[in-house]
Amino acid sequence: MITDDLYKMYLTYLLAGNRVECARMVNALIHENTPIKELYINLFQRSMYEVGTLWEFNKISVATEHLCTSITESLITLCYPLLFSAEHSGRKAVITCTPGEYHQLGARMVADYFELYGWDGYFLGADTPADELISYLHEKKPDLVALSISVSFNIAELQRLAMKIREQFPELPIIAGGQGFRWGGENALDNIDKVHIIRSLDELVTRFLTSQTI
Amino acid sequence: MNPESFPNLVNYVMHDSSMICLTFNKEGVILESNVFADAFSGKSLKGLPLTDIFIDFNESGATPFISFDSEQTTLVNLSTVSGLPETFYFRFYDHGDAILALGEANGKEIGILRKNLLELNKEMHNLTRDLHKKNAELRKLNDLKNEFLGIAAHDLRNPIGIIMAYSNFLMEEIENDLSAEQIQMLRTIENTSEFMLQLLNNLLDISAIESGKLHLDLKHANLIVLIRKNVGLNSVIAAKKNIRIHVDCFEDIPEILLDANKIEQVMNNLINNAIKFSMAGTTIKVSPFLSGGHVTVAVTDQGQGIPTKEHDRLFKPFQCASVRTTAGEKSTGLGLSIVRNIILGHHGKIWLESAVGVGSTFYFSLPI
Repeated sequence: MITDDLYKMYLTYLLAGNRVECARMVNALIHENTPIKELYINLFQRSMYEVGTLWEFNKISVATEHLCTSITESLITLCYPLLFSAEHSGRKAVITCTPGEYHQLGARMVADYFELYGWDGYFLGADTPADELISYLHEKKPDLVALSISVSFNIAELQRLAMKIREQFPELPIIAGGQGFRWGGENALDNIDKVHIIRSLDELVTRFLTSQTI
Repeated sequence: MNPESFPNLVNYVMHDSSMICLTFNKEGVILESNVFADAFSGKSLKGLPLTDIFIDFNESGATPFISFDSEQTTLVNLSTVSGLPETFYFRFYDHGDAILALGEANGKEIGILRKNLLELNKEMHNLTRDLHKKNAELRKLNDLKNEFLGIAAHDLRNPIGIIMAYSNFLMEEIENDLSAEQIQMLRTIENTSEFMLQLLNNLLDISAIESGKLHLDLKHANLIVLIRKNVGLNSVIAAKKNIRIHVDCFEDIPEILLDANKIEQVMNNLINNAIKFSMAGTTIKVSPFLSGGHVTVAVTDQGQGIPTKEHDRLFKPFQCASVRTTAGEKSTGLGLSIVRNIILGHHGKIWLESAVGVGSTFYFSLPI
């Protein structure tokens, strides 16, 4: 169980760049059968939101923020033996960051969540060129595409990308989310059909991952 | 800036800053250097020629190479205390008799390097994710394959058993009414169905092992009794090829914890292989002995031997050695893989020693 004390200790190690101690804590939690969802939300997401805020308020440097991200990305890998063993339903999702969006951690966690709920979550990573995404969508024929932005100045790029997808795939549901919407901007996608803004992993679960219809 | 702050600023640049600060004359001799510059080059630079730290500078004089445009930076490679050159961005200011040089580390280059490293790191994490995903998919496919294999082998075993039983019956009951050609046909049916039954049994074993369903019924048992029983059964087959089998046992072997049926399967497989690959008139030796907390059994033949490069793959499923059986006997390529898994299931070890033209010894050891 992730107590407040444990979380604070983890955050201290994370900010200090102590990958070994962070990994030891995550491994211990996995060993105690802590649910993956709890690790993702109460440890990885919570700590990275806090790291983001510290960076925003100039309390830590961008180098520290990058180090924390890199450590978290490697710690997530520790969950993979459990994550990918879920029974699959045959539904597919393609998850990607918009062109120019270099923060991929949130999108990767979303892709992992799809796997956890029995979807095939194909993750394309940071700064995916629009043409590359379109051709991948043609190849994979997913049931849904998820677009992630972590910084708000990528909203315009997200809008362009969503329109491009809609031109080629009139019926494909698009979900968009990420910290880029923290200060608003959802209405930028109002004019595009079948685009849903997702505000949290919990909302993703109830609206899409466990829903029989999209 | 308040003029009173200048001494503090100069003091900071000379003692505490992380930039190189030098003054030098038109002949290229260093007049003053700050603490960082001295530490960086590993020596006091005052009085030394500029070429001691500026690698690329011409000894005939520094000034022709210097731009005094304060908007312009000049890339300069510096020799360092570590022996590895480092590139700094310099600005030069002309003060008449002396030239002031201020150098900063190449922050832009470090920035690019950091960005590249981060991207490589991301790529590595994404590849790791893909790898885990693909591994999980392969595991599921493998489970499916084992399930299919198990079902197929199980369902095919009964019809093959019936074919074998009827061909046996015909051979026993109406052999005298059949022509030589018909008898030969029946023998072919009998041999082929026997091989198929063995293959199906092996496939069932392999699919059970690969699905993690190797269940061992461990009980204390006398290994020597098992060995003698198995040698007795196989001696009949060996005798048909004029091959002798004998047991060499000079030690008291204690009872050990084992699954008697499975260890019999191991013994049967190893002795059977030895018979298949041995020439007439040779001897197969089965030698159990004690070795450091284990009972080891060696099955030695005087057969053709197996080339060293083939040893590792012999214990993998569907792999056969390049050597041929001596009387056209068939091999499923599964036996040694099953044997290996049974021995590993007993926390034992299995290995072989072989020399081409001399023979092979297969060993397995079980903990006491």
